[in-house]
Amino acid sequence: MIQRILIVVLLLLFQQNSLKALVTIDITRGNLDPLPTAISDFYFDDSIKPDDSIRKSRLDKKIPELVENNLQRSGLFFPLEKRSFIQKPEVAHATPRFEDWIFIKAQVLVTGKISLDKNQRLRVEFRLWDVVSAKELSSLAFFTTTENWRRISHMISDKVYERLTGETGYFDSRIIYVAETGPKTNRVKRLAVMDQDGYGVKYLTLGNELVLTPRFSPDNKYVTYMSYFRNLPRVYLLNIEAGIQDLLGDFPGMTFAPRFSPDSKRVIMSFAKDGNSDIYAMDIKTKVVERLTDHPSIDTSPSYSPDGSSITFNSDRSGTQQIYTMKGDGTAVKRISFGEGIYGTPVWSPRGDLIAFTKFFRNRFYIGVMRTDGSGERLLTENFYQEAPSWSPNGRVLIFYRETPSDDKGRGGNAKLWSIDLTGYNERMIETPTDASDPTWSEILSKSK
Amino acid sequence: MKIAKISFIHLALIFSLFLGACTTAQKATAPAPAPAPAPAPVAEGDAYTGTDTVKFLADGVPDRVFFSTNKFNLTTAAVNSLNKQAAFLKANANLNVTIEGHADERGTREYNLALGEKRANIVKDYLISNGIASNRIKVVSYGKERPANPASSALAWSQNRRSVTVRSN
Amino acid sequence: MQSSLKTSLFGHLLIIVIGSLSFPFLSKKVEIPPIISVDLVQISDRTNIPYAPKVSDAIKSDKKEKERLVTTQAPPKIVPKEKPDAIPLPDKIQQIKELIEKKQNPVKVEEKNKQVSEFEKKEIFDPNKISALIDKAKKESDEISKRANLEATQSQQKNFITGTLTLSEQDAIKAQIFKCWNIPIGLPYDQNLLVRVKVKVNPEGSIISSEIMDTGKLNQTHQKILAESALRAVRLCNPLKVPKSGYEKWKEMILNFDAREMLKG
Repeated sequence: MIQRILIVVLLLLFQQNSLKALVTIDITRGNLDPLPTAISDFYFDDSIKPDDSIRKSRLDKKIPELVENNLQRSGLFFPLEKRSFIQKPEVAHATPRFEDWIFIKAQVLVTGKISLDKNQRLRVEFRLWDVVSAKELSSLAFFTTTENWRRISHMISDKVYERLTGETGYFDSRIIYVAETGPKTNRVKRLAVMDQDGYGVKYLTLGNELVLTPRFSPDNKYVTYMSYFRNLPRVYLLNIEAGIQDLLGDFPGMTFAPRFSPDSKRVIMSFAKDGNSDIYAMDIKTKVVERLTDHPSIDTSPSYSPDGSSITFNSDRSGTQQIYTMKGDGTAVKRISFGEGIYGTPVWSPRGDLIAFTKFFRNRFYIGVMRTDGSGERLLTENFYQEAPSWSPNGRVLIFYRETPSDDKGRGGNAKLWSIDLTGYNERMIETPTDASDPTWSEILSKSK
Repeated sequence: MKIAKISFIHLALIFSLFLGACTTAQKATAPAPAPAPAPAPVAEGDAYTGTDTVKFLADGVPDRVFFSTNKFNLTTAAVNSLNKQAAFLKANANLNVTIEGHADERGTREYNLALGEKRANIVKDYLISNGIASNRIKVVSYGKERPANPASSALAWSQNRRSVTVRSN
Repeated sequence: MQSSLKTSLFGHLLIIVIGSLSFPFLSKKVEIPPIISVDLVQISDRTNIPYAPKVSDAIKSDKKEKERLVTTQAPPKIVPKEKPDAIPLPDKIQQIKELIEKKQNPVKVEEKNKQVSEFEKKEIFDPNKISALIDKAKKESDEISKRANLEATQSQQKNFITGTLTLSEQDAIKAQIFKCWNIPIGLPYDQNLLVRVKVKVNPEGSIISSEIMDTGKLNQTHQKILAESALRAVRLCNPLKVPKSGYEKWKEMILNFDAREMLKG
């Protein structure tokens, strides 16, 4: 009996409490501004002697500088000016006085510490703090060799990015492209690789023959590209570790436009003979070749979906260059581009939901995205000449290249790499020592280990 | 290594020329398949009709033909030039050629490689249909990689949409 | 015939030898900087927050990302950006301005004239009947409200009495929070992007407390990230500009942070 009364009372109180006017307000909007972020200098702890050469390396400044660079270039973070920081790095890293950081309008804070473990390996520890809510969000340490500090900075950037945006990062990656020099009528082209932030450009070929459209394998072990070695345009495979380049397959005609399958086992490409280009896939190890299209039209620029079940490609079988999809075995070919103009270079997003492309309409070039059924076409940027978008590993940023017009003496015609966010914001040029074209992004480096 | 490479290639080339002379006494190969009928020539479109950038294989034999935007069909002017090339090749039965197909820069790179290949092959097919043996003709596509005129103008683009017949021996 | 054959064979062999010396795959090795492995270690958390990231969560979320091969992230909504209120270098402001202005072929920005959601008018009890219990209830109301909130579902929240806050009063509060809420852009728009924060304010509008309701969902990474952003928004907006009267009506509020509109493509 008493229990029943208690239950009734509780129920009434429950209802009465709702009655007691808990106003509910829907917050359906916010801002997508870059997040004000304070990235403090790191500090060397006592395990590193004052005269140790590591101190001269200034990693305590260089690592956070690289992190700041990455986050700022993503367009989603707004690093605050270090001169306004009040707390010293070692103090902030132990426990920040959050008021000091709120005062300079930071919302989040990155601190870090560099030390040597007993095996003399470099240990970099970082902490991510929610300054507004006064708590620690993330705390991680990395162990590696001193020379590898750039990769640590990129991995820290990825962790910070992920923890705050809900998106996987993309800073621990590389970009491969074609470095161009010389007059337009006789361009010298070389394959070049660099970190995603433009550091450490290395040339892979000498420039004696034309090279085009290089692509990384998802396991970061190979590069496939097209070369005019011996005046025979063919697809080649470069084994990164061994540094050896091999002709891929034994085709009696031009092979071009190569890409890897998501499992890195096959290369899909176009093969042209007697005026007809079709799409073929070749297993790298077994050398077995599978023909995927069989149509008198030009079929090229194939790209796998991230689960390998579908392929998008470029075909003019309708009379003009358009984008198609088909199953991985070549069946169920379906056209998906229907807008005005011509469409080319389709490339499937690593998230699987979008296809990026180049569009040419009324003498202007556009980079855009559409859903995999062709709906929701969005054009992100327009230019005199630009093409060949490639996705960042997290499917959020597109890298492509642009070329300026040239005069009849061949002056102008400068090609540069550009990137743009999926939202259409944050369009920026990527510095390269020479002109550059045909960029593609690698998979995240840590995933290949 | 670079210098060494070049001189080796030169040596190789010289020797291959020497060897080319050894093949004169070859028997005829199997009869070639019946040549496909040449496609009907089309209207000019925006194919280049001038003579700038045109070189000559011999007196009165232009080395190239031009195409309309995105097209690979032979224009009337192209057919005329190719008739002259065919006659020239018949008169010089030792000569082998490579047909280089090109595209203008107003298109995506990979598609242009394929388009260049189509343009090269249509010239090859026409020459074959005019009695030139197919083993005398190679094709290669350069897409938009080797413009004849580097400018970014409609004129330059029309001069770059071409198939060039180049002696290969 | 014989001698020419021999010469031909010899010549061919010579070419093969010379040619092979100039092939690229026998020339010097090409070097790409190798990928040096980096070890990753999770340090134990120093602070003791209920939903601070734990190692297992970090690993779980990594695994989830791997399986998420065909995700459904649509491009986020385009909204004109406002400059963040911080202390930047002058040229940094310039950079951000330039970036925004440089955007070519701008995507159509839809004007969001969304209708404010109306209160649902659902009267459950006759107020007079239970007025007798109000005094007794006040003491226990805090504990019970906590429990009640934990059990509350989205539908139950709509137990309002008519006319607690006017539309314009609501809009005023909304507008402030809109400005303060920095939305994490990476969240998948098709999942549950709703987080409820219960806020208590004093008569001047200073926030006495703010807490997440439905803490059970916070083991999901996306919910956690969203919740943290909501809490930051509330705290950044402190103190709120509140109506001049009717404190009883708005001294406790539930803010429904719903990111779906902004993140939908």
